[in-house]
Amino acid sequence: MTDKMMIQIENLYRTFHHGSNEVPVLKEINLNICEGECVVLKGVSGSGKTTLLSLIAGLDKPSSGKVLIEGEPISKLPDLFASELRAKKIGMIFQHFNLFEHLSVNENVTIALIPSGLKMKEIHEKVAEALKVANIIHKKETLASRLSGGEKQRTAIARALVADPNIILCDEPTANLDRDNSLLFIDILEKLHRMGKTIVIATHDPLFDSLSFESTIIPMVDGKIV
Amino acid sequence: MNEALLSNQVIVFLLSEVTLFALLTVAFVVSLKVLLKWDFESFTPFQFSLERQAYLVSTIILFVFLMKFILVVYFIFSIDALSLLLPGAMCGAGVIKANLYGSYLLISKIFILFLLTLWIYVHSYDMRTKNHQWFKQKSWLFSLIFVFIILELSLDFSYFLNINTHMPVSCCSVLFGQLEGANPLPFGLSVNSLLVLFYLLYILALLTIKSEYTILYILTNILFVFIAYYAVVYFFGTYVYQLPTHKCPFCMLQPEYYYVGYLLWGSLFMGTYIGLSDAVSTLWLGKTDLKSKKIVITLLSVFVLLCTAYVTVYYLRNSVLL
Repeated sequence: MTDKMMIQIENLYRTFHHGSNEVPVLKEINLNICEGECVVLKGVSGSGKTTLLSLIAGLDKPSSGKVLIEGEPISKLPDLFASELRAKKIGMIFQHFNLFEHLSVNENVTIALIPSGLKMKEIHEKVAEALKVANIIHKKETLASRLSGGEKQRTAIARALVADPNIILCDEPTANLDRDNSLLFIDILEKLHRMGKTIVIATHDPLFDSLSFESTIIPMVDGKIV
Repeated sequence: MNEALLSNQVIVFLLSEVTLFALLTVAFVVSLKVLLKWDFESFTPFQFSLERQAYLVSTIILFVFLMKFILVVYFIFSIDALSLLLPGAMCGAGVIKANLYGSYLLISKIFILFLLTLWIYVHSYDMRTKNHQWFKQKSWLFSLIFVFIILELSLDFSYFLNINTHMPVSCCSVLFGQLEGANPLPFGLSVNSLLVLFYLLYILALLTIKSEYTILYILTNILFVFIAYYAVVYFFGTYVYQLPTHKCPFCMLQPEYYYVGYLLWGSLFMGTYIGLSDAVSTLWLGKTDLKSKKIVITLLSVFVLLCTAYVTVYYLRNSVLL
């Protein structure tokens, strides 16, 4: 871990509107995450973890407040620039994997690099490297629809890593995995942590309570950090 | 009620114009509110709400403006179709002269299309900045355009409500024909000098488009579109119709001439609009776009080559000029 600030969140609020009702989902969130840090956002369903991850990734805009990624206010960036920033600096891993079921493992990971404009030879090298790190290279020609839950999650990890982002965001990454696959996932996270990646995990899985590597647990209740 | 107003084309056209105007009115009200309170540096709930509204408004405006381009083509098509209803009219030329409002309406549409192209330019530059650098310019320009669109809509209704289908109108041969003893060409030009000017201005436009002489380019472009209009009506058009007395900007839009008028006028006006918008953006925002210049060169060249091709092919076939 270094002193370099990767994610800064100041006075962040997010409110949704249902008709005339206002539903505050995030309230007064202040959080600083340094380079190489692993942060676990813990809370029950509906505590605002996923909304917070979406705001960090620039997938959603806050109602007020700042989200800075390496000093850049992603919460204010127009879509085009937010997408560029996300493509370069942020890798995402989702609970439901979000893979293209009709594409192979190799293609699912390759597709993440297509907008980068790299040469195909370079793309193939990066994809192979990411598949190795995620320990799924032996299944590279298999269709995503034929993979087990654990294999799908490892493919999603490879896809998140392939652009070599500094930040990895994981939203309930083990919710659809059995215990063995969850432990395997945590092993890969440890590898990423050693590589110096900044990791933010939103989860309610107790396996993340006592990780074998340095991590910070941040409890969330009703949209607030407690 | 007059028969023109009950024709399918006019009903569709006016309904579309009113619908688009309703959308623009909503966009105008919201955009004024956004414009007056805009502070991009602020992280308050109000500013985030304004940014969401601004995004929605820009999307509505962009959609409406793109539809307006299609609607102008439909307008031309509609007035051409109306020629069947008006005694004496053989194409849109007679229909547009059916009352006083027609010419003003056509000119206002041509001018508004230029403003719309300029707005699309400023919008595209604005969307390519991280801090919406051109948001205020874009919004003020939209406010100006909105005023012109109110004028255009009132002209739309004034024109179509005042078409008298029992009153004979003049056809294009009377409107644009060589009048006895009078020279219809601008600046007292002869047809030969008009053609020399036409090609010279085209070359000058190509030479200045990538140069630093932006004002010269703007003037050249405006003069070129003006001269090109007369060159098509009084010279090139006669080769499209293969009849030396047929001088009309509208008949070439009809199926018997393979709708070539849409390609001719479309390439000329789109080339001019894009060229002028790029040049005005250079002067106003300090931004220029190389891709636009290539598009302008292509469109104007298509226009000039097509005009020239009609004359060349006619000469090769008949060994004589009209």
